Amino acid sequence: MTCLRLFLSFMKIGFCSFGGMTMIPVINDEVLRYGWMTPSEVMDIVAVAEMTPGSLGINCATFVGLRAAGVWGALCASLGVMMPSLTLSMAAAHFIFRLKGNKYLESAMRGVRPASLGMLAAAAVTLGLTTFLPEGRIAWNFAAIALITGVILIKGRLSIPKTILIAAVLGLILG
Amino acid sequence: MEKCKRLLVIFYVMAKIGLFTFGGGWSIIAQMQNEFADRRGWLTQEQVVDYMSLAKSFPGVMIINMSVFCGYAMGGVAGGVVAATGLSAPALAAIAAVTYCYSSLRDNLLVEKVLNGVRSVVVPIIVSACLKLEKTALKGKASWVILAVVFGICIFTGINKLLIVTAALIAGLILWKGEIPDDVS
Repeated sequence: MTCLRLFLSFMKIGFCSFGGMTMIPVINDEVLRYGWMTPSEVMDIVAVAEMTPGSLGINCATFVGLRAAGVWGALCASLGVMMPSLTLSMAAAHFIFRLKGNKYLESAMRGVRPASLGMLAAAAVTLGLTTFLPEGRIAWNFAAIALITGVILIKGRLSIPKTILIAAVLGLILG
Repeated sequence: MEKCKRLLVIFYVMAKIGLFTFGGGWSIIAQMQNEFADRRGWLTQEQVVDYMSLAKSFPGVMIINMSVFCGYAMGGVAGGVVAATGLSAPALAAIAAVTYCYSSLRDNLLVEKVLNGVRSVVVPIIVSACLKLEKTALKGKASWVILAVVFGICIFTGINKLLIVTAALIAGLILWKGEIPDDVS
């Protein structure tokens, strides 16, 4: 019963949010409503989600599910939060694929592509500000890690997983 | 048989990507580009950019949307499901491990240092994705204008990404009207 509840709750969370931090308030409401966690445990969600790889949404769902109903709870909650992707995005993917090569779709996509790049570049800048300028001061050690790994990644063409491992080691030394 | 093999590879690669996704999921774009477009040629650079904007404008978790779009393009409905579950599998294992030793990890200085290092590399990863997508996304002066406008809007406001993508879609239809010049206009 808890598993079904978890699935439905996280499905609602998935449909009501657009990923990332926007999920936190919705998760907060649902989790407290059913008493799956105490308010102080909710604060831990973000910390745990940041500590582990993967998206915030999936990590939160897994964490809450695991606490509330063990491994099955974790599976049901993750599946719930994946529902919008498995339904809406899947349908959209089908539609886009059928229209491939259509001239009007191609025109529209010509407008969307630079917009995607703009969003991506903006994400780099906003994330960069919070990472390298925490509390208004420049974090020289983090900037140095970024510079070293950036050169290795872009000029040295090292793979991303290997670059992340190097960053972790550099973090141990400079962090 | 060939299809089963492809699905297995999709699952394995997505699990690997899931294991190395930190910092809000934007770095997944660079990884999918590397693995599926550059190395295997199962997706084109255009597809990566197109799906990214769609993934961002649909409700739900952006990187799960992204894996469903790319998975579908590479292996139909089964590909989409396999890609989404592959991406989430490492998270399940990692969360289970972290939950059991959370209290000792929370105040551990070494863990904090490693995470600081990992957080610092997210920005260079996103920048590398931007650099690679530049040629695909920017064709002609009009696309530079769209890039600049969207960049400014995203930095200074918190407007819903769905509105931005819809506006860009309409702009594209008006600007090119179904006539696609092969050369740079």
